[in-house]
Amino acid sequence: MTEVQVSEEVAEYTEVHRHPEPKSFIWKYIFSVDHKVIGIQYLMLAVAAVFVGMFLSLLVRLRLVWPEESIPLLGQLFPIGAPDGVMTPEFYLAMLTMHGTIMVFMVLTTAPQGGFGNYFLPIQIGAADMAFPRLNMLSFWSTFVSFMLLLAAFFVEGGAPWSGWTGYPPLSAVPEATVQGFGQDLWVASIAVFCIASLLGALNFIVTTLDLRAKGLTMFRMPLTCWTWFVTAILGLLAFGVLLAAGVLLLMDRNVGTSFFVPGGLVISDKQIDHSGGSPILWQHLFWFFGHPEVYIAILPGMGVTSHILSTFARKTVFGYKAMVYAVLAIGFLGFVVWGHHMFVSGMSPYSAFVFSILTMCIGVPSAIKTFNWIGTMWGGKIRFTSPMLFSIGFVSLFVTGGISGIFLGQPTIDLFFHDTYFVVAHFHLIMGVAAIFGMFAGLIFWFPKMFGRMMDERLNKIHFWMTFVGVYAIFGPMHYLGMMPHPRRYAEITSVDYLEAMGAADLHLFITAAAILTILAQFLFLFNLIKSIFKGKECRDPNPWEATTLEWTISSPPPHDNFAGKVPHVYRGAYDFSLPGTKRDFAMQCNNDEAVFGSRPASSGD
Amino acid sequence: MPATLTATETEAQLEGGDGGFVTLPPTGDDGWDGSGPDAGLVQRYKLGVWIGMGGITMFFAALTSAMVVRQGLSGDWQPFSLPPVLYVSTLVLLVSSFAIERARREMRQARQDGLQRWVNVTSVLGLAFLACQVIGWQELVGRGIYLASNPANSFYYVLTAGHGAHLLGGIAALGYIWARTRSARAWPTREAAVEAAALYWHFLDVLWIYILGLLLFWR
Repeated sequence: MTEVQVSEEVAEYTEVHRHPEPKSFIWKYIFSVDHKVIGIQYLMLAVAAVFVGMFLSLLVRLRLVWPEESIPLLGQLFPIGAPDGVMTPEFYLAMLTMHGTIMVFMVLTTAPQGGFGNYFLPIQIGAADMAFPRLNMLSFWSTFVSFMLLLAAFFVEGGAPWSGWTGYPPLSAVPEATVQGFGQDLWVASIAVFCIASLLGALNFIVTTLDLRAKGLTMFRMPLTCWTWFVTAILGLLAFGVLLAAGVLLLMDRNVGTSFFVPGGLVISDKQIDHSGGSPILWQHLFWFFGHPEVYIAILPGMGVTSHILSTFARKTVFGYKAMVYAVLAIGFLGFVVWGHHMFVSGMSPYSAFVFSILTMCIGVPSAIKTFNWIGTMWGGKIRFTSPMLFSIGFVSLFVTGGISGIFLGQPTIDLFFHDTYFVVAHFHLIMGVAAIFGMFAGLIFWFPKMFGRMMDERLNKIHFWMTFVGVYAIFGPMHYLGMMPHPRRYAEITSVDYLEAMGAADLHLFITAAAILTILAQFLFLFNLIKSIFKGKECRDPNPWEATTLEWTISSPPPHDNFAGKVPHVYRGAYDFSLPGTKRDFAMQCNNDEAVFGSRPASSGD
Repeated sequence: MPATLTATETEAQLEGGDGGFVTLPPTGDDGWDGSGPDAGLVQRYKLGVWIGMGGITMFFAALTSAMVVRQGLSGDWQPFSLPPVLYVSTLVLLVSSFAIERARREMRQARQDGLQRWVNVTSVLGLAFLACQVIGWQELVGRGIYLASNPANSFYYVLTAGHGAHLLGGIAALGYIWARTRSARAWPTREAAVEAAALYWHFLDVLWIYILGLLLFWR
């Protein structure tokens, strides 16, 4: 029966597409065109980046609590930024800038999409690889170059840039405005290279999803993970080109004297700056036209993984699968028309602000649909509280907490008060940073047996989950209160700000720093578990240890070079057929036809 | 690492009847059995170019909106007349689109020499276009219209250079096609590559017409 259904066309594409398995180390592990190796390369880059970013956040927290204390090692590493080990305010800003940039670009953008998406999109859609494997390699290595350029900024004269991850001009555009020189140029160059890498990656993801799906795998049978990778790629395709254009203009303002973003009549340190008529607001428009979709680039894959894992471990189909897909599409679309809400205080017509505000509120609708459906998915399910499940439930929790404060900030009148306060810091860390990272933890533990053929230590994972879950709320919960004081962000110290002292900001900062240190320690526990499990974890011979339904669980762990060992999968049903009545086991894999699922009794397949 | 399961073992583990798999015939080392061009591959490459056009369009859309905003912002915008050589370059680029179409036709009629010849003609016309653009820049410099002296100039240089960079990419692709068609090794993606390059080349043509219109009418 199946023989007939797979046409010659499908066989042909697999023929042409399959590339021989390389033998030498360099072509197998370094310049590999295998999407699985590239996925792991992206993940390794993200793990390296996240620890650098975390270390920077630790410095930021230490500076806030003990501004005068000396950290001798720091003095040796950064003799100018931290003379005698005491961080200067400029150094604090540089750490803040690099923390944001590294986390947003090198972690939140690379790991969910480049890492997990690369590894599992082709397998989940039944393909042998991405549509353009060599382009895929180019994407990764461009990203790597971008990361190196960014890190190099620490080590050039003047040090790392301190104009914030948003790189607002004139601070970022006028070298005279700061002591730094080349560091900011490296930052812009890094972002530009990253844009190109991400554009190439996005192209690859879109074509792969549209063109390489297995027979029978209609768009509405795709796992929600694939949907979110697909929509994320569309967002990346449309957003990164705009940031690239802005970056090119900024680089020109810095180096060849153009005046795109630098206003005329600017005087810095009694020196007239030789620019005329540029607009810093123009940068903000271009940046946030990218910046807001970027938030969804970071979080959408996490939503997909969460939906996938909640369904798998609740042993129930996703509640409202199509509504989930439409919600993802709606969030993706709305993400492009709300950039103005980042600029309410930059000077904007009240009418524009009103429109941006209404559109921002609209995002609450698909977000609420998703949340409702996640709860609906778990409702009445036979929930298995594995660690991926815990992280997915944690994702929902953080998404709700971070999302609610977004509704406050989306209103211009309230935002006038909260803008540039710790309230904003709390909001975006919870929703964009931590929620997305919970999605990554969930995905990593869930797919670990497939990637490495071993299980992670479940007990350590659970300890890590609870420490991190409590930790992040302890860090970012109090920041809402700091924001209400209102405590401005980006200040290196508050020792002489009377009202903040009177309201107990110092004590809260101490508490937050203590929570941050404990949470960081928990991440080392995870790193230990990760490395130990890769080499010494419990072997997992079962290709489907979680009793999941999608195609990656039909193949051996780790998967063979061409994923399906010279075979072409055929998909007969949707991705979440759990607990179907009349079946002998509580899940039906996507490649099982009705006969295999129900025995001889014919039944309609779930779509 | 644990041993890799064979496909049969995998299926047995799944107890899923036929498992929904079909075994493929084995392939040669390069994964290409030498049979005719693959329609699916052509479609995939062209889809890739279409998607890529979306990204490039956003890049130029961003520059366009920046230009419109920047011009309306302050009184320092000084329009200038475009160098006449731009009309020559436009003509050259339009002709090059016909050349790449000819290359496509030669390929479809399986004329290897014709394909190589017309791919090279297209590349030479592309280089001639770029030369005209450089002449245009030199003329502007001669008139004292420098990159940074006025925002109108800045956008002229950025837009033309941005388009030129993308065209260089197109020429590189054509050079690659020429090199691969000369080699004796089988090239399974030949048709797809030529089709994709032709599509991209036409896009560069349309993009240039757009930029020229913008520079002409949005001064």
